[in-house]
Amino acid sequence: MSQATTTGGGVKPGPVRVVLVDDHRMFRTGVRAELTDAMAASGIPVCEFVGEAPDVDTAITVIRAEQPDVVLLDVHLPGGSGNGGVDVIHGCFGVEARSGAPVRFLALSVSDAAEDVIAVIRAGARGYVTKTIGARDLITAIRRVADGDAVFSPRLAGFVLDAFGAAAGEIAEVDEELDRLSAREREVMRLIARGYQYKEVAKELFISVKTVETHVSSVLRKLQLSSRHELTAWAMGRRLL
Amino acid sequence: MPTPYEPAAAHRRPVTDGGPDTGALGSVPSAYPYDQPPARPPRPPLVRSRTRGWTPGVSGAVARHLGISRRSVRWTFVLLTLAGGAGLAAYVFLWALTPEGDVDSDPSQAAGHDTRPERRQWGLVLGVGGVLVVVGVVLLTPVLGGGVIGTVLVPLFTIAVGAIVAWSNLDDAQRSRWIGAGEGRYGWLRVALGAGLTVAGILVLVTRGESVSAVWDALLAAIAVLVGALIIAAPWALRLWGDLRREQVAAARATERADIAAHLHDSVLQTLALIQRQSHDAAAVTRLARAQERELRSWLYAGPQGSQSTLAAAVTEVAHDVEDLQGVVIDLVVTGDRPYEPHGAALAQAMREALLNAVRHGGTPVTAYVEIGPTGVEAFVRDRGEGFDLDAVPDDRLGVRQSILGRMERHGGTARVRRRDDGTEVELRLPPIEGGTS
Repeated sequence: MSQATTTGGGVKPGPVRVVLVDDHRMFRTGVRAELTDAMAASGIPVCEFVGEAPDVDTAITVIRAEQPDVVLLDVHLPGGSGNGGVDVIHGCFGVEARSGAPVRFLALSVSDAAEDVIAVIRAGARGYVTKTIGARDLITAIRRVADGDAVFSPRLAGFVLDAFGAAAGEIAEVDEELDRLSAREREVMRLIARGYQYKEVAKELFISVKTVETHVSSVLRKLQLSSRHELTAWAMGRRLL
Repeated sequence: MPTPYEPAAAHRRPVTDGGPDTGALGSVPSAYPYDQPPARPPRPPLVRSRTRGWTPGVSGAVARHLGISRRSVRWTFVLLTLAGGAGLAAYVFLWALTPEGDVDSDPSQAAGHDTRPERRQWGLVLGVGGVLVVVGVVLLTPVLGGGVIGTVLVPLFTIAVGAIVAWSNLDDAQRSRWIGAGEGRYGWLRVALGAGLTVAGILVLVTRGESVSAVWDALLAAIAVLVGALIIAAPWALRLWGDLRREQVAAARATERADIAAHLHDSVLQTLALIQRQSHDAAAVTRLARAQERELRSWLYAGPQGSQSTLAAAVTEVAHDVEDLQGVVIDLVVTGDRPYEPHGAALAQAMREALLNAVRHGGTPVTAYVEIGPTGVEAFVRDRGEGFDLDAVPDDRLGVRQSILGRMERHGGTARVRRRDDGTEVELRLPPIEGGTS
């Protein structure tokens, strides 16, 4: 990912512009209704829906036309070259939101399969949450992704710990090492896997939320760039390499 | 069947059943007066028994089907044969068209059948030998066959025997295809023998004692015609074969599809129906949906299920149990794995108690994280709610103290309950397995 994703944007002028890509109309309607209700209840219009798409090709067209800040992306989609959400991310390479930042993708899926999760993250998604996520958590996640941060569900954190051998005790000597997590990153991942919010992680480790976000983004970068065998093997499963 | 109210009949039954044992086929009818149930069961299908004797079992099949004695069927065939050969034609016709099947004959009869296949084979060999001798004599001495017997009847007889030998084996092949390995070379030998006999019979019949060279010419001509016919028919036959294969593949696909449909019907559709009926009960809907989701996932991805061979599988099962029991979704994440042993079992049980506590006394979402690594096992169960204060738990409440803390300590581990601002977290730790890490 380009390092131009400076998170210093701070407060954005308007609500986050969101495109929803999912092949189930019922699910799209449900998410819209739920988020709209939740925002109406809280009184803060965090995001507005500017488009929807049921398949890969429509998604790419809509995203190029609307230039949203965030795309909520299902992993399994019809169309394209058969790789679902991954094809959408590849097809929208270089598209920028109206604010000038790149379009960010948040994967939203029912699939728990490691190869699906890893594939879509390595294609460039900034996070992965399951469809059972609550409306308020989803709004937080959208906000976070729009700000250029990463969103990890407990399950994704578990995958990361597994894939980088962190659960088995492999720790990077220097933070920059791509194939292992640093001790601090491992701690953050472990707490996320235990179900802690970023806020709670920060409190537990006596660091700021901003630092937690930095660690998570760093893990995301490693997840995308590392050539660790487990990661490439998973990606191979989706014919990405 | 005799009812319990007829003690006399019930006592007599074993004795009458013993009858057929001693008298093989002949005394079968004698068993019927007692075996015949008062209320007649539906007529058995017309199938030939797989375990049968010398004969193809046509008489037996007809007898079973009609509910009359086998002996009378046999005699009927014989009498009909004497009346212009109709009986023989009927017999062969029935043999060709009656499928083989499992006949649930009563055990005493089945026992009587056990020795027959061997006897039948011996009979077959003797018969074939005799026929071969006759054929050889007839072929070698055409002079002997000057009359009608030599030129017509003997060849006809040879053809019939050859056809029967080959045919009976193909009949067996149909069976062995289902069972698996057939009789192999012996079976093919029989087919070849039968075919040879038939061809020889036809040749003798056709040549009517002409010279051997004439026979040879005829043979060559016949082969030429056969090859020609084969060449003409081959493309058509191949196409037919291809069509057949395609149809079989399509049928297999259809079967697979039907299997999937059946599974979805038994699982997903049933659950959806249940959910619609219980739509007012949110907890029940959640429980049903969650259980169904898990079931479908394990069916699709064939993940760890049921078997407690590893610790990861065991804790997953524990979490699913609690979900089913309480109807609350538990977010479980497991990393690493190790074999399932008593200490791990203790941890799984302690975790079960912790999950139950979290679900009962805490608030959702309940999350659980189990990390299995070379430095030991760590398990965290977390809820969001009021939580419970360990010091405030009365001593008579065994749940937390005994099931969680005590159990972990007995197995060399530790347990800790942490009150947090917005919930409770139970931490369970186990040292690595002695004698090396996984």
